This record gives sequence, C-alpha cells and structure tokens, in this order.
Amino acid sequence: MTACIGDFREFTHQGGARVTLVFFPADFQVRWSQCSATADFFAEYFAAVPACKPADDDARAEFIGTVSYVVNELVENAVKFSIGERVEVTVGLDGDELVAAVANQILATTVELLSTTFDELVAGDPQELLFARVEMNAENPEAGGSGLGFLTMMSDYGAKIGWRFTPVADNPNNVLLETMARLEVKKP
Amino acid sequence: MSAMDIKGPGYRVHFDEATSTIHFEGSLRLGTAEYDPITNLLNAVVERKPSLINLRMTDLVFLNSSGINTLYKFAIGLRKLGNIEVHVASSSSIAWQSKSLPNLRKFLPAITITVT
Repeated sequence: MTACIGDFREFTHQGGARVTLVFFPADFQVRWSQCSATADFFAEYFAAVPACKPADDDARAEFIGTVSYVVNELVENAVKFSIGERVEVTVGLDGDELVAAVANQILATTVELLSTTFDELVAGDPQELLFARVEMNAENPEAGGSGLGFLTMMSDYGAKIGWRFTPVADNPNNVLLETMARLEVKKP
Repeated sequence: MSAMDIKGPGYRVHFDEATSTIHFEGSLRLGTAEYDPITNLLNAVVERKPSLINLRMTDLVFLNSSGINTLYKFAIGLRKLGNIEVHVASSSSIAWQSKSLPNLRKFLPAITITVT
C-alpha cells in the first residue's frame, strides 16, 4: 500500500523545465563529492531557466546556494540509504515552485521507523525541532547522523517536504521511498 | 597537513594562533565521521584557553547539514564553558550563512556575528 507523509504532491505537468538524473549504485557506489557535484549541476542549470532566472548577482548567489543545499541533502540521503539498483534525482518547475525529488529503494523493515521519524518532523515547528535536535546531538556525541538535513531545509530554507512509500512489485523486501522538497521561486 | 591545518579536496580549515582565528575555506560537504578531524581542531583551540576565538566563514561557500551540526555543537560546548568570547565573520552573499548562521545565537547567546 502506498503511504504519504508531509507535503507530497505529484508534479502537475503544467510544463516547465525538468531534469532527471539516474545513478546506478549497484555498478558504481556514488561518492560524497559526486552528490555535491550533482547538486551544483542542478543549481547552475535552473539558475539559467528563465522562470527561475535570478534578477541580479545577489539573487543568483542565493538561488544557487539554496538549490544546491537542498539537492545535496536529498542526494546524500538517497545515496546513503539506497539498497536498490537505482537512485533517481529529478528537479523541475511545478507552477510557482521548484521541486527537487529523489527516489531510492530502502528495506521494508525500516519503513516503520522512518514513518515515525517523518511524522515527528512534520508535527512540530521546524525551528523548535531543529534547536531541540542540535541540543540532543551535543549531549550524545557518539550518535550517528546529525538528523539536521530535513530540519534545516524546512526551518532555514522554507522548503516543504514530503515522502511517499510504495511497495516494489517484484521484491517484497524492498520499498520505494520518494522524497520531495518544494521551494518557492521568487519572481524576477 | 597538521592537526591545526586540515586540508581536503576543495576545502581547508586552519587555525591562526596569532589572531586566534579559525579559517574555514572552500566547500565542506563531508560525511558525519569525516568531520572528526575538524572537531578535533576546534577542541584543540579551546584547550589552549584563548580569551577570544574568531571564526572566519567568509570563504566557506557550502556547508552541509553534518557540518552545520559540527558547528552548532561547538557553539554549545563554548556556551557551557562560558569564558571564551566568540566572534563570527560571515558573508551575506553566501546562502547557508544568511540562512543557518543566525541560529548560532540560539546556541551561544553571547556570540557576535559580523555580516559583510
């Protein structure tokens, strides 16, 4: 059964630029620096799309910094947690929003824990959650991940985040996780 | 590369003792554990018991969330010590700095942040 959490909406296909990049980590494990290069590519690409095109140098720097941050966080997550053969990254315009989406397979056994985590992320004020999470991280220096990726996107960048879990038809052990971040595009 | 001068592909973090300044340069998008040498550098600076630490961020174009966590945790550590003045030099034209650096005031209320 498919389940959505947060602000997950399909592209509305109203036209506008859209680019998809597919990694095949089973053949070559994507490296951290390649997540960064991917993020920079999408940011530079969409900075040149007329609907996004920033009005001046300051606006361009903010646009590129924002898109690059958000895409980098999404791709880092997708690559880190992917167990399947594909990691798909799509960035596109959807109405007044720039949408960044990643799709990767995860173990079905992790869905429950992830759902709880995502539910908590969208239940509270992102900034308060961010502050609480950082204080908790400081108390637990040995903890694994920082858990700040989604919280910084929501709190600091105003991104609307959503997730969708979909069963994988030919493999009951895996679930397709799609993660989407929507950013408002400032009109030039 | 020394413990007080960390270099990697596209980034450098180093401490200048004369000015008590930690310089962050380039693009820092490392995995969580890869920030350990930088955390060690930050802690080593604190162990020297300076009265002031300057954090120069104006040449750090990108910082991922793991790096932001490293920086915030450092600020919380300094808040708990309570006896070191901290000044941050930031740039208004670098998105992560205008969006995420102001949060440092939450973790270390006495911090001063200069934006150029």
